Amino acid sequence: MSTQLKLKDEEVQGEVSGQSAEARVITVAVAGNPNSGKSTLINAIAGTRLHVGNWAGVTVEKKEALFDFGGRKIRLVDLPGTYSLSPYSQEEIVARDYLVHQRPDLIINVVDATNLERNLYLTVQVMELGIPVVMALNIYDEAQEKGYRIDTAGIQQMLGIAVVPTSATKKTGLDELLGTVLHVVDAPNLRVPKRLNYGEDIELASDYLAKTFQISYPALLQRYPQRWLLLKLMEQDSHVMKELGLDNLAFLDQALHHLRRAHGEDVESIMADARYSLASGLTREVLQKPELRQTELTEKIDKIVLNRFLGIPIFMAAMWLLFKLTFDLSAPFGKWIGAMTDGPFKRWASAILTPLGAPDWTVSLVNDGVIAGVGSVLVFVPVIFAMMFFITFLEGSGYMARAAFVMDRTMHSIGLHGKSFIPMLLGFGCNVPGIYATRTLENPKDKVLTALLVPLMSCGARLPVYVLFVGIFFPKNSSTVIWSLYVMGILLAVVMGLVFKRTLFRGEAPMFIMELPPYRMPSLHSLCVHTWEKGKHFLFKAGTYIFAVSVLVWFMLNLPWGVEHKRDSYLGQAGAAIAPVFEPVGFGNWEAASSLITGVIAKEIVVGTMGEIYAPKKDEKKGVPSLREDLKEVATTFGEACVKAVKTLLYLPQAEEKEEDRGGLNLAIQGAFTPLTAYAFMAFVLLYMPCVVAIAAMRQEFGTWKWAGVGLLYQTALAWTAALIIYQGGKLLGLGG
Amino acid sequence: MNLAKLKPGQQGKITSIGSIGPLKRRLMDMGVLVGEDVKVLKVAPLGDPIEVSIKSYNLSLRKKEAEGIAVEVAG
Repeated sequence: MSTQLKLKDEEVQGEVSGQSAEARVITVAVAGNPNSGKSTLINAIAGTRLHVGNWAGVTVEKKEALFDFGGRKIRLVDLPGTYSLSPYSQEEIVARDYLVHQRPDLIINVVDATNLERNLYLTVQVMELGIPVVMALNIYDEAQEKGYRIDTAGIQQMLGIAVVPTSATKKTGLDELLGTVLHVVDAPNLRVPKRLNYGEDIELASDYLAKTFQISYPALLQRYPQRWLLLKLMEQDSHVMKELGLDNLAFLDQALHHLRRAHGEDVESIMADARYSLASGLTREVLQKPELRQTELTEKIDKIVLNRFLGIPIFMAAMWLLFKLTFDLSAPFGKWIGAMTDGPFKRWASAILTPLGAPDWTVSLVNDGVIAGVGSVLVFVPVIFAMMFFITFLEGSGYMARAAFVMDRTMHSIGLHGKSFIPMLLGFGCNVPGIYATRTLENPKDKVLTALLVPLMSCGARLPVYVLFVGIFFPKNSSTVIWSLYVMGILLAVVMGLVFKRTLFRGEAPMFIMELPPYRMPSLHSLCVHTWEKGKHFLFKAGTYIFAVSVLVWFMLNLPWGVEHKRDSYLGQAGAAIAPVFEPVGFGNWEAASSLITGVIAKEIVVGTMGEIYAPKKDEKKGVPSLREDLKEVATTFGEACVKAVKTLLYLPQAEEKEEDRGGLNLAIQGAFTPLTAYAFMAFVLLYMPCVVAIAAMRQEFGTWKWAGVGLLYQTALAWTAALIIYQGGKLLGLGG
Repeated sequence: MNLAKLKPGQQGKITSIGSIGPLKRRLMDMGVLVGEDVKVLKVAPLGDPIEVSIKSYNLSLRKKEAEGIAVEVAG
């Protein structure tokens, strides 16, 4: 974990001399518990101005927004949602490093008004930093509905920080919140939160430590917020001690001597107790709950949803619905985009380029390289949007935590977390949304491990490859063979999960200490903003890599200039060069090797490339439709896609799609493979490196190439080994080679 | 008696937390402190993890983690 947090864009920190107050950018960090409505609040304030990225070097998402309010420029920095600022989780370290080292001008502390005590525990810690704090008392509407009476003036007075009731879902209190932020930033007397009293013994120890420190390490007291530093030293916070290069301080033991004698050895517990006592004391003072407690909606729902007998069937049904909505709803639109980039777009490009006297290769580069590349990014957009929307809904509604609760036993037995189930499940549709869905896991270890295993789930793009080969070699038991491949993927995921646990992810097992938040209806606005953020990010960030690889493959297929036979293209040459590697696994020919290279773009492309190599199509001269006909086609096929999406959802019968005639290809494959090598080849296609899109997704989710690289290497090695065992084992068993 | 052994509906007061390191700190950060009242609400359909109510919110944890939390059962 990185000790020092460096932001990608070094920003205006503190006041720049000579600049007026108005021109300065005010940096506001937003801190709060998970499930406190923090994301919704930020989405409601910043909307599409949010910029999503990663905190440098860690797999934690970073959101930022720059906007004007009241004639001032505000930069909002969303800190990861945390319950505390302890030195143990990556999120907490990111949050505190930012607050300590970047020193924002102000902290907005988002507090769930329906869960005051536990949220105030973080408030107490945030106040230790000596940075001005404004509390957004969020979900205030729900608290009022429940009959809670909260004395906001009381909180203000006792903590010395401004408190603004807000409801992010109803968008109330947001202007007041930002207005208060500006007011506090401008009023020096409101700037510093009260120094809370942690109890006589802690304060005595702290005073003693402060005196010693002033003599021995005056520089440190300048560099860090003093109160925070002293408390962290007393806790013997491992992260701080390491950063300062201090350990085994004799005077620290002296300072803690009395405290330990009075309260026990574990100072960390004493401090946690002290902070919670402040939080509960304050809660008792300011919160009045109604005498009669009604059975809450959450309780009623959970009685059914987490029922011993109904829990699992309901979970299955929810997962089935999630899968169906994500893939079936988006598929017609993905196909539509594919057909558009393949048809009208290419025709338009030719129509523009040919009259300009562009040579054939330019037209081909634009059509088969650039447009096809853009197309291969765009076809993923509907499924990513759909997945993000429904996953965010599941999270925001509170069901995601229940799903993890129900599935944890099963997933834990193979070393994963309950929340790993959903990414894995989505992986069967498409690995890419599966990888993106790992963001719901809080622990980075769980997250990375799950993402590494998701590509072993046999996705929809592998199916065309299976269908082609099974149709030729195993027509009688096609479904059994395909099923065996799916099972192979799952079993290997279990094996690899256990292997990774013992190698890359050694150390204490991540824990399962998870809040089950109340059910809530997520706001549609926030869902859309979130979906849009992620979709946009995929489109531009991951899209760039995918596009680049697609263009590269075009060059490989068409260079050297004027290449006649595919064997002589760079792709054919590369295929021939790596073919010997596949000799021991049964398909050491340049055709198979070349198609595996192009299959890196998307695994179904293996089929297309084989088609081009084994049975090149003659150029068909069709009548070129006019621009008007094309535009009409774009519109009508989009309409058809909408109808199809609705029909699929409602299970209405649909016209079967025409199968492409592949007679020539089938014959050629029959000559080049045997049933045994065909099976080894299918296993290889299932397991070898994830497609570029999946790799780009991993790169983007984890902010580093490291894990994408690990995935690429281990899967390719696994694929080769599996194919070797199948082929050599099969030969030994006399299945023929 | 430890928290993992309580049945749904049973309530107790935490007397000690045996876990150490990050797990202990995490539990404390979530409000699992000595002296706190805790009530088991549910056991997951497959027998693990469990759901408890503490500091007026609901928390789930694995039985293995709950085993380290000693409780004194009230009535």
